Amino acid sequence: MAAGKRLLLGDDQPSIGEALIKAMDMSPADVVFEVRESDIRGRGGAGFPTGIKWNLAGAASGDHKMVICNADEGEPGTFKDRVLIEKMAWKLLEGMTIAGYAIGSSHGIIYLRAEYPYLVPILEKARQDLISQGLLGDDIQGRGFSFNIEIRSGAGAYVCGEETSLIESLEGKRGEPRNKPPFPVNSGYLARPTVVNNVETFAAVPHILLGGAEWYQGLGRDDCSGTKLFSISGDVENPGVYELPMGAALRELLELSGAKDIAAVQVGGASGSTVTPDELDKPMSFSALPPGGSVVVFNSSRDMLDVLENFMEFFVHESCGQCTPCREGNRRLLDIIRSIRAGEIASRDDLKPFFLLADVMKAGSKCGLGQTSPNCFVDIITKFIAFPGDKEGA
Amino acid sequence: MSRTPEEIVRASLEKHGSGREAVMEILTDVNRELGCIPEEAIIATASAVGVSNAEIYSVVSFYSFFSIKPRGRHIVRLCSTISCVMSGSAEVLEAVKGDLGIREGETTPDGRITLETTSCIGLCDQAPAMLVNDEPHTRLTPETARAIIAGLE
Repeated sequence: MAAGKRLLLGDDQPSIGEALIKAMDMSPADVVFEVRESDIRGRGGAGFPTGIKWNLAGAASGDHKMVICNADEGEPGTFKDRVLIEKMAWKLLEGMTIAGYAIGSSHGIIYLRAEYPYLVPILEKARQDLISQGLLGDDIQGRGFSFNIEIRSGAGAYVCGEETSLIESLEGKRGEPRNKPPFPVNSGYLARPTVVNNVETFAAVPHILLGGAEWYQGLGRDDCSGTKLFSISGDVENPGVYELPMGAALRELLELSGAKDIAAVQVGGASGSTVTPDELDKPMSFSALPPGGSVVVFNSSRDMLDVLENFMEFFVHESCGQCTPCREGNRRLLDIIRSIRAGEIASRDDLKPFFLLADVMKAGSKCGLGQTSPNCFVDIITKFIAFPGDKEGA
Repeated sequence: MSRTPEEIVRASLEKHGSGREAVMEILTDVNRELGCIPEEAIIATASAVGVSNAEIYSVVSFYSFFSIKPRGRHIVRLCSTISCVMSGSAEVLEAVKGDLGIREGETTPDGRITLETTSCIGLCDQAPAMLVNDEPHTRLTPETARAIIAGLE
């Protein structure tokens, strides 16, 4: 199977500013239309259609609209945005500038995770280079459109990858998710209409503008659009970032990275799903296996209960504590995982209350953290853990 | 001569303004220069921005990279999430703890090093990894981690 075209990290890159100039030759509404027609969906994991977000923010009433880049990838096993910034920071900035033009904003902020301080000079340099080329700053290319970008740092909180937590953090507060509505497109940073997109989403925008919506759409597979960056790590020969058509089969990525003796694969990070070797032909698409950015491979030497305990320790640490089902639920799940390890749980039936707890957490938590943190518990206990009292063949 | 917490806050206010949205920037500046955010800085920030001390304290306590407690001159953050664990970060941690004579979360008595474990730092392709202050160090073994830490002044 052909690996498909690499855009985001390919060797063949457009010249800097080409897409922005093309965008400025179009009307803002046409730029939004092109992005909407491309069917690109948010590359951070949640998969909201980018064009619809831009359309809503563009149409929202309110001054000082904002374009915010979510560079707070914290999902275990995700590092694609780091690599993208290291190699192609200009493209992220250009995508943000195009978004600014499209929605009528002159101010962008990059919220960079505290774990990436060494990327600040790279972003700063890219910013200065664009300003000196007249592609960022005041009166860009003499077109009367101005756009400035600030680089701000987080301080270590996984939950700030959630867009309303990120906005709270930028406003100088605890990174606790907000109630929605209002959605950020209507009332985001400082109550201004705000677009928040992932690094990879912004970096795809110049390609969409230059190649056209239809071309971009055609690059995806299985009802998906465009290409996608996958971070793969764990038991593979060549860990790293791979660019494949969005919707490519998981198996294809595993073969490229040299995964062998596969016992389990975590797709979409700790909050994603744990799949068995029988499921490797599933497409990494929003409807089948939503990939976010992270794929971690476990070989047959790994104890999946260790893996589950590590994931749940992560969630206990990272829950912001606002919603009780998440704050307390993750602790209870970690406790029961340790009881399983200690041999205190005889059969799967004893865990029924904890599966119910998982459902309550999914239903009763405000943000994606508590809604998805029980996934690994359900998947790993159901698919990978044997209990002394399990019936033969159960 | 090193600056007082109040001086750092004042300088930061000049750069970032005194709006509530400057709080993360101010706290980051203090935390970076002093290794922690002392009470004087919390009070100065709260009064400049016009919120209660408790409000700023709650922000400081929310984020892993901020600390109320004084920390060492160097902060070592070793990743304890899955890909790093699978590549041997627990052995690295044990080796470093043995050398420094402290546990995670503690500072050496001479104030040289604070050792912390951290959630995923996005270096899973080069695991196990750690941050020493702002610098990433990757593909660690117990030996290389020991040598890196021994070389810190």
